[in-house]
Amino acid sequence: MSIAVSSIHRSRRLRRNAIPLLSILLVAVFLFPLYWLAVTSFKTESEIFRTPPTLFPHQFDVKSYTEQLTSSNYNIMQGFRNSALIAFGALAISTLLAIPASYGLARFSIAGKHLMLLLFLVTQMLPASLILTPLFILYKQFGLLHAPFWATILANATAGIPFTIVTLRTYFITLPKELEESAKIDGCNIFTTFWRIMLPIALPGVVVAMVFSFLFAWGDLIYGMTFISKEHMRPITAGIYNFLGFQRTSWNHSMAFGMVSILPVVFIFIFVQKFIVSGLTNGAVKG
Amino acid sequence: MGKSKERIAGYLFVLPALIYMLFFVGYPVIDNIRLSLIDVNVMNFSSGDHPFVGLENYKILQREGILATTLTNTIVYTIGCIIIQFICGLGFAMLFSIPFRMAARLRGLVMISWLLPATITAMVFKYMFSADGIVNELLMQVGLIPDPIKWLVEPVTAMLVLVVANTWIGIPFNMILITSGLTTIPKDLYESAAIDGANTMKRFFKITLPLLKPTILSLLVLGFIYTFRVFDLVLITTHGGPVDATQMMSTYAYKLSFDEFKYSQGAALSNVMLLVLLVVGFVYMRLVNREEKA
Repeated sequence: MSIAVSSIHRSRRLRRNAIPLLSILLVAVFLFPLYWLAVTSFKTESEIFRTPPTLFPHQFDVKSYTEQLTSSNYNIMQGFRNSALIAFGALAISTLLAIPASYGLARFSIAGKHLMLLLFLVTQMLPASLILTPLFILYKQFGLLHAPFWATILANATAGIPFTIVTLRTYFITLPKELEESAKIDGCNIFTTFWRIMLPIALPGVVVAMVFSFLFAWGDLIYGMTFISKEHMRPITAGIYNFLGFQRTSWNHSMAFGMVSILPVVFIFIFVQKFIVSGLTNGAVKG
Repeated sequence: MGKSKERIAGYLFVLPALIYMLFFVGYPVIDNIRLSLIDVNVMNFSSGDHPFVGLENYKILQREGILATTLTNTIVYTIGCIIIQFICGLGFAMLFSIPFRMAARLRGLVMISWLLPATITAMVFKYMFSADGIVNELLMQVGLIPDPIKWLVEPVTAMLVLVVANTWIGIPFNMILITSGLTTIPKDLYESAAIDGANTMKRFFKITLPLLKPTILSLLVLGFIYTFRVFDLVLITTHGGPVDATQMMSTYAYKLSFDEFKYSQGAALSNVMLLVLLVVGFVYMRLVNREEKA
């Protein structure tokens, strides 16, 4: 009897201590690449080539950042600005087009609705490399390669639009229909109902959709490096691609670049983490 | 009147997005098929004189072994990734489903790898797996290897690095979907199984896994589709090398179109890619339909 009790006791204690400890350890190992990114960006060139590598910078150095603020070769601020321009542009287009569309597909009976949904779902899954060559030729014909920011923004919006529609539609469907009926009684027409009633209620879903539309374009490499030929107009990701192509990679400079580029991601992540889980499971599983 | 007015409103809501996608994705997909059947290269790109060549572009890809190499590489990479990230994702999901104080916060932290630009992830892994990188250093200190491994120089290890890097990105996605799948399993099933004397292992294989089947199915298919189209990660980490050992369909299509200016061959290769994705998607839908009917 007492043996049984003490074994239960022991297993409780195990659960209380061992599992959290194990979890923390696992997550720490999992996040090590991020730590390594940060640490490397603060090391000096000579410390990077030291063996064994130092787990923490002995000499905390911000030169990798400051040197690139003034560099004409590839300027860190310029890269940031370019990436931001592309990401906000794509976000604007996908928000304007896709949020109404997701509401329309959730609430109205439209002919060919299922086909449209399937189309959006499929376009979400297509590889960028598939549409790249035809888009390039199309852009060339329309002279859009002379406005490479636009070319890149327009292409990047094609990732955010289907994602927004697929995830946000399921969100709108879960909202009670009575909301719209009472809005109608209060004198709202279809558009004011959408704008004043439904949109504010769906805000958590809207935030997730917008965050992802932004992040897709923020992380874009393929469109930016294909449509933008001028070095100083390219996004950070393309800058990194160039950096790594050099004969001898300057890791601390590259990592400093990486740090600047993940800054907005980490920032967004902290604020919307909670929404993302629900938004993602909505779209991916039930969509 | 109300109904038809609503219908018109519905179209007004939906059509702008639909037209946009048809123009910027639909048209390119169709045009890609046309491109693959004619010959557009650097010589005749601007002249507009593009002879019809039928399936010649596809035949060239097959003859030169490009199709076999890139298809094999992409499939090996994709299967490797989805299996490993599924197992790790399942592990994390199960671990964090145990109620303890920090579970939710830790689960949240894991998610960040999924949101980072693939370019950054690729760069960090390239650095960690470089000849004098931290991975070699750790393995040597533990005594697992006597000399540094040239991870990115050998075909097999280069592929392994790609799989590891992509698994790192893919784990959160798997974890989240499995976590939400786990919440749909009724708690009393476990309780009654425990009363019947089923141990943890038995409960996992007899209850958890079977009831997760729909989640697992969609995870593997979505995982396949999203992994199969890899581009950034490979371009940055290995650039398709050594030689063509990690050259994927997407990276090779890019190389054909934008490094060698063989636009039509690039188009042909990406059409094969589309075909594979369509087949997988079709099989998936059949499976889901059968599941729903059963």
